[in-house]
Order: sequence, then structure tokens, then C-alpha cells
Amino acid sequence: MQFRRFRSLRRGYGSFLMLVLLSALALLAELVVSNRALLVRYDGRIYMPIYGSIHPGHDFGLDYDYEADYRALRSKFAREGRGNWVLMPVVPYGPNDDCYPGETYTPRPPEASSRHYLGTDQVNRDILARLVYGLRNSLLFSAGFVALVFLIGIVVGCAMGYFGGWFDLGMQRFIEIWSLLPFLLVVIIVRAALPSGMAFGLGLLLFVVVLFAWTGMTYYMRSATYREKARDYVAAAQVLGAGPARVLFHHILPNILSILVTFLPFTCAAAIGSLTALDYLGFGLPPPMPSWGELLRQGTGNLDAPWIVASAFSALSLLLILITFVGEAIREAFDPKKFTIYR
Amino acid sequence: MTQNTRALLLSSLAASVLCLGGCGKPAPETATTDAKPADAFPGMEADLARTVKEQASFYFFKSPGDFAKDTQGLAWEDGSDLPSFADPAAKKGGTLSLWIPDFPGTFRSIGPDANSSFREYLSDYTLLGIVRVYPDQPGRIGPELASSWAVDKAKRTVYFRLDPDARWSDGVPFTTDDILFSWYLFRSPLLNDPWINDYFTKTFTALTIYDAHTFSATLKELRPDIVARVGDPNAAMPPFPRHFYKDFGPDWVSKYNWRIQPTTGAYTIREEDVRRTTSITLSHVKNWWAQEKPFARGRFNPDRIRLEVIRDPDKAFEAFVHGDVDVFPLRTQLWYVKLPDNHPSVASGFTVKAKFYNRIPPPDFALWLNEAQPPLDNLDVRLGVFYATNMDLVCKQYFRGDATVQKTVSDGYGWDPNPAVKPRPFDPDKAREYFSKAGFTKQGPDGVLTTALGQRLSLTITTTYRQYQDVLVILKQEALKAGLEFNIEVLDETTGWQKTQEKKHDIALAAFNRTVDMYPRYWESYSGANAYDVPYLPDGSPNPARKIKVSTNNLCSIADYKLDQLITAYDKTETMDQVKVLAAQIEQTIYDDAVWVNGWKQPFYRVGYRPWVKWPGDFNPMQSLDFEQYWLMWIDQDEQKADLAAKAEGRSLPPQILTYDKFKEP
Repeated sequence: MQFRRFRSLRRGYGSFLMLVLLSALALLAELVVSNRALLVRYDGRIYMPIYGSIHPGHDFGLDYDYEADYRALRSKFAREGRGNWVLMPVVPYGPNDDCYPGETYTPRPPEASSRHYLGTDQVNRDILARLVYGLRNSLLFSAGFVALVFLIGIVVGCAMGYFGGWFDLGMQRFIEIWSLLPFLLVVIIVRAALPSGMAFGLGLLLFVVVLFAWTGMTYYMRSATYREKARDYVAAAQVLGAGPARVLFHHILPNILSILVTFLPFTCAAAIGSLTALDYLGFGLPPPMPSWGELLRQGTGNLDAPWIVASAFSALSLLLILITFVGEAIREAFDPKKFTIYR
Repeated sequence: MTQNTRALLLSSLAASVLCLGGCGKPAPETATTDAKPADAFPGMEADLARTVKEQASFYFFKSPGDFAKDTQGLAWEDGSDLPSFADPAAKKGGTLSLWIPDFPGTFRSIGPDANSSFREYLSDYTLLGIVRVYPDQPGRIGPELASSWAVDKAKRTVYFRLDPDARWSDGVPFTTDDILFSWYLFRSPLLNDPWINDYFTKTFTALTIYDAHTFSATLKELRPDIVARVGDPNAAMPPFPRHFYKDFGPDWVSKYNWRIQPTTGAYTIREEDVRRTTSITLSHVKNWWAQEKPFARGRFNPDRIRLEVIRDPDKAFEAFVHGDVDVFPLRTQLWYVKLPDNHPSVASGFTVKAKFYNRIPPPDFALWLNEAQPPLDNLDVRLGVFYATNMDLVCKQYFRGDATVQKTVSDGYGWDPNPAVKPRPFDPDKAREYFSKAGFTKQGPDGVLTTALGQRLSLTITTTYRQYQDVLVILKQEALKAGLEFNIEVLDETTGWQKTQEKKHDIALAAFNRTVDMYPRYWESYSGANAYDVPYLPDGSPNPARKIKVSTNNLCSIADYKLDQLITAYDKTETMDQVKVLAAQIEQTIYDDAVWVNGWKQPFYRVGYRPWVKWPGDFNPMQSLDFEQYWLMWIDQDEQKADLAAKAEGRSLPPQILTYDKFKEP
């Protein structure tokens, strides 16, 4: 019923569809934006280099061992005219490709003829490619963030609300102190002081960020559980012999799911915002992983190449606006005043 | 009383007890030494007297008669034949506006935390030394506080006559009292500076004071640059004022944190010119004693130097373009992109762009491969890394041809240590050959080589230079062609330096600044004693129980017995010919061990400045590090007024884009 309501809110639903489209684009980025060819026909065989192991140059008649340069290969085949061809994605550049090998490293403006629709950055990498793959990193990060924060929030918050007493009091005080830590500062300090030798990537950054942000959902889960615990159906379940876990996860949780759903988009936005902020300051993902924060940083350091900051800023604004619209629509769709009937 | 009231009273009582208990006298500051209260410090003068008596085998006091006897037959030098590198017609006066990235943490120039960028204004560029290595005259020394000197090679002793005109900025004359105090200070464990302590205890065997203006220093070893090792402030230390450090003691660091030391140099700081966290203004010492001396004529010209604190370098650049800062160093991006020749500020003549070719030992930028960290302990892997690093591309395309690859580990000393040693070129095929010799025979699904057991050829480059992050991105992309994966780790200055100093890195992108010397130093970075605590067994083979030594400059952890023997001999050489022979062998050995992947160097520096800031005809000495080092610039105040009036009226001045290539290497 809520979903029907949600569907009827055109702005929110439209944003939702756009977000689904963007996520699909991010997850299937290789099919649209990649330096690997979709299909290669060479000596009678068809290859699909898009996914899987790299094809060294020798596989296609080139004289080197590292990954074949498909753009150069395409021109080579076209010149030879032996019936070999290469089908490249719409934007034939990867996020880490040097698009102008052997030339000066300088940002270049957008140019439709060379398929650099948003231009290149200061190390000759295509900006659209970095945006799309950066979106993938942002979405993965935010999915992981939401999953972990919600999981911890549910477990800890519901336990606090259900068991109450000293456990609740103690955890509340601990959570109060822990949430006083200035989030961004502490993440930066921990990130800067991590013991050397640890391979830093999305996973470790996610762990550090969640370590200081998990307290978010516990408040809401705790108060919702307290409220539900006082209801009759819980007492009924307990009388029937249900244990705490069953009562929590089978009876209470489905009723407080709407809170989680309402917070989902805003938690997503917060995750993307934190990742972007950390990357902008240089304390997020290690180089050269594509990320929007890193692109923003390049952009503000190269304001004479305005296409960099314009792309990153527009993309970030668009994404966060879409998420906010979806969030508002969900909040309205789940508004209890519209469908709760008090008897 | 009710239970509630009792509870309330009890809790407020508990709270007040806790609060009062928290107040009280703070714990006394622990002294920097382990002196027990019984051995309380007797005061600087008393401690100085005590030290001199205890170290009677080091500190000698003789008479002027002895001086005549000791220096009989020695040739005296006073540097009077040295050509001036300043413009004697330089105009005095005016205010020069510069900037510093942070308000200094202390006004001390030695001791903990004194090594900030502000120190160059406190001491490096303004405090005079006893003598100074003269720029552009190899092997020559120029006078500063000393007017003449003589060397007794047989006794390894240098004799100095101080200039009787020399005085501190507060009027107190400079005498050998200050020399004696300085050496006491530099040898004192209370100083808390290991390098200074080490240098002044290990280098010298005696200091002899004859009278208020004559003294001599005896060194343990005879070296080609013996005079500089005593009196040049870059090789040794400038002298410090005895009368100012009356309160020196175990707690001197905190006592002297914000006291402004008098100087023998041209610029001092007045209390009223210090605006905490905002700016510091240096002002010229009135009636400076050295103003007409040959070494200072035409130098130290502005009356005031205003240093504004601007934390963000991008903001500082904008301040420069706007006119709030008068002189600014222009790196590649600024020169070509942000301040191109057609920039309105340059085209209207309001900003002058100058490029000056110099010849000094550049910082030794390189990828330092840590031999102690597998798989870099394998020579084939190291050689492979050399051929997989495309430094040439970085120099040609990232630095736009402004930089070149360093040829040896010690470029820039004026002579080529070993013509046969050249940088290895970028050659992915050759790199793959070496990697496969080392066992990395298969190519993994992502293009990175692996051993038969699946170990990937993945190395982490650690650096604190965020500004060179893009260089590493480029190198990473190129190294993939050789099947090598570089992971880039950009850490903040403290953490990154700590990691490399603890030798926990695989590869470090680092560079050490080098001063103008007659010959390069190898011991700090390439001696086994700086890699391990006990590097070798008595027979010269590697000691299996050796432990890594931290906090040294040997970032490669190189410990080669033959190399160490060469370096030991090198550090004992007495003539330049011997130096060159050994240097060639050392360079070859380091090259063969393949630990230092040549980085880049720039044979010039670029400066932007206002048109009323003037420089001598040749701009700066050939052996200058940056525009400030010798203070040759001056301000033409009439031109400044005229230029500012022209700018206000919207008139343009002739644009100036200058290149000083007199000292460009062919």
C-alpha cells in the first residue's frame, strides 16, 4: 500500500527510477564506459575482452605483453582492412587511462569528436569515466555503510529497547560519549595514523567510517522498540513462550521497518557526503581510485579548467538531489497519519 | 530527612569533593635531564666554568704571545681578493612583503621544533657565521665575523682573527666569549639536539682561546674543507650570544621559546612587529656593523621585511598576483598554467617572471628501494623496478621538459663523479626479463606478474609529498606495462616520515636537501652502519642477527661491506684527487646494487616579483638555492610609487619575462 502511494508521488518516483538507472549504469559501467573493447574479431575468432582476464597484446598480433590498447588496435585493424574489427563502448576510456600518451599532462576541455564528453583531468584521464567509476565506488561504499549502520543500529538499538535496565543505561551513556567525537576529524586522525603495511582500500575505509558513525540508528531503534514492547501483541508472544530473539526479529522488527526505510535515503546521502568530504581532503580512498571528492579537489585546484569542477559538482548535486527527493517521497508514503486507523 | 533529600546532599557532596580534588597545584614540569634535585643546575655561567675545568683537555686558554708563536709561518687568508656577487649600487630602504605558511612554533633557532620554514629568517639567511663558503668560487672561503684565518695542516688546527667591529644587534660586542659559550652550548647534553652534539663532540679535539678576538679550533681529521667545517654556519653552526643565554639551563627550551635573540646579521625582530598568528616583520638593524664590509655591500637592502602568515599555498599565490606579496617562487603549474605570459598581471608589467639557471646539488629525489623488505632483497627484482619506472616521461611531460633525470646519486657538485654511471631507461621488456629471473613468471588476470605460487608483484610507494601524487599516478600506469603494480600511499608528513624512518616502507619517494659542498656525502645514506645495528660479522659477511636501525637517512637499508670500506676511506681523504677517485668507485657500487631509482632534478628556479624589486645584473650567484638566500634584491622606492600610480590609473608597464641562462649547463 505504501508502495502504491510512493508510486503516485511523481517527483519522488521519477527520482527513484533515475537513481535505479544510475546505479545500473554504475554497476554495468564497463558496457558503456571502458577502455576495453566490447567485441573483437581477430583472425576469424570473436573475443569478448570486456570482462575477465586481460588479453595481452600478443593475443591480437601486437608486440607487447601488457594489456592490449584497444583504441590503437581499432585504428590498426581499420588501416589493415583484413576484416578484423573492434567494437568499443560509447565512451572508449577507462578511469585510469592516460588518454594522450606521450603528451603533456594538462587538463583539456570537453570535445565531442574525441568522445571526451566532459574533458580530461590534470593527469590526462577522461572525466566522464572517472565520474562513472567513482559513482560505482560511492554506491558500493554507501550500500556497505547503510547495511552495516542499520545492522548495528538494529541489533544494539533493539537490544537496548527490549532489555532496558542497566544494559540500556550503560549503552546509552557509552553511545552519548562516542557520538560526541567529531566524526570527520576522528576519521581523518585514525586514517592518517593507521599502522603501515595494511592495504588500504574501500573495505578498510568503510570499517573506519562505520566505527565512528554506527550510533546513528540506535536512538530510533531503541525508542521504537520501547514503544512496541508495551503493545499487547508482544505480551501475547511472550506468553506463548517466544524468546527475545524471536520477539525482536519476528514480531517487533517488521513493525518498525518503516523507520528504517524512511532513513535509508538520508543515510545513503550522508555516506556519499562523508566519502566525498574525506576524498576531497585527501584522507579517503588511496590514489588513483576514482572518486568524486578527488575530482572536486582537482577541480578547485584548477579553476582555470572549469569543466573539472563543473562536472564533479553537477554530478554530486544531481545525485544528492535525487536521493533527497526519493527520501521525501518515502517519508510521505510511509506517513502513518495517512493509513493508521485508531480503534 | 527524606530519602530524596539525603541522596541529593550526598551526590552534591561527592561532586564538590571531586571538583576540589581536581584543583590544586599542577605537577611540576619534569626537567629535560635526569638531574636529581640535589644536583640542581648552578646557573649558566657557573656550569660553563665547571665544564671548562672538567674538559681541560678540550678547552685551552692561552695568551696573545702564544698566538704569535703558534701561528708563526702560517699563511693568512682574508678573502679580500674575492669578487663581489652583489650590486654595490643597490638602493637601501623600503618594505618587502613575503609570506610564511604558518606562524612559527618558537623563536628559537635550535632545539626541539625549531626546524620550521621560519628558521631561515631567524638564522639560516640572516645570522652570520665565523666564515662562509663563498658562492661560485670552488674551495674559497669568505670572511664574516672573522676577518682572517690561517690553517696549520700538520696540527689540523685553524686559527681565526675576529673582526673587532663585530657586534650583536643590542650593541654588545662580539668576542671569543660568545665562541666559548657557543661551543659549550653545542656540546651540552641539555641542548637536546643530537646532530649538533654529535658534530661538536666528534669533529673537534680542542678549542683554544687566546684573547677577546683570537681563537683556534683543532679537528680530529684533516679534510679538504677544514676551515668550513669549523666556521661555516651550514657545515657547523653560527655562534650564539653569551649574554643573552644567561638563563640557559635544563628548562631552557620553554624559557627561550619566545625570546628574540640578538643577531650579528642585518635583520632583527622588534617585539611590536610580532602579530601572533598573523604576521612578523623583520627590521634592519640600525647602524649595522657589517653594512660597509665587502661581504655585505649591496646586500640586505630593504629596511623592513614583512612576513604574512598564509596557510594555503593557493591563497598565497592569489595574494601574490593581487599585490599583497612581492616575490613568489613559481613552480611548473604556476609558471605555465596559472600565470601564463598572457595573464593580465604579466601582460601589464605588474608581475615580472624570471627563470634563473643555477648549479647546485639538487635534492636527491628518487624512489628509494628498501633492500630489507622482500621481494626487494632480490637484486633482479630491484633491477626490474628500475626498468619499469618511466621517470623520463615524468620529466618530459609532467614537468614539461623543465626537469631532467638525475644522473648519479650526487649530481650538482661541479664535477661528474662517474661518467659511466647513467640512469637506466624505461624498458618494460627488460624489466619483465629481470622479474622472471626473480621468479615472477606468470602474468595474472589483471596484468600483474605473479610467481608460480601466486605471489603478486605488488610494491607500495610511500611518500609525504602530496604535491607529487600525480607523478606516482603516472609511474603506476607505466609500470603496469612491465607487469609491476605500484600501490600509492600518500601519508601526512609526520606519519609518512615516521614510516620511512622506521624502514617499514617498500619504496619511498623522498629527497634530502643538500648544501653547497666541495664533495658529496655518502655516509648518511649509504653506509651499512646506518642500516643495521651490527651489519657485519668480523669477516665481512652479513650478520644474520642484525636488526634494522631506525631514524637514519639510509632509506635503502643498503649494507655492503665493500661499499662501507670505500666510504670509510672517503671520509678520511685529505685531497680532492683522492675524493674523486673514491667517489667514482662508490657511485659504481651503488649503481650496481640498484637501490636508488633516479628521480628528477630541475636545473633552474623560477621567481615572480613586482617590477620595482630589483636584482643585480646576473640575478643571483650560480650556487644559490632560491631567491632569498643571499638577499641581493633591493626596492626602488621611486619606481614603486610610479608603478603603483600607473596601475591605479590603468596604464600598463612593459611586460618582463626574463631568462638568466649564464650558468646553464651545456
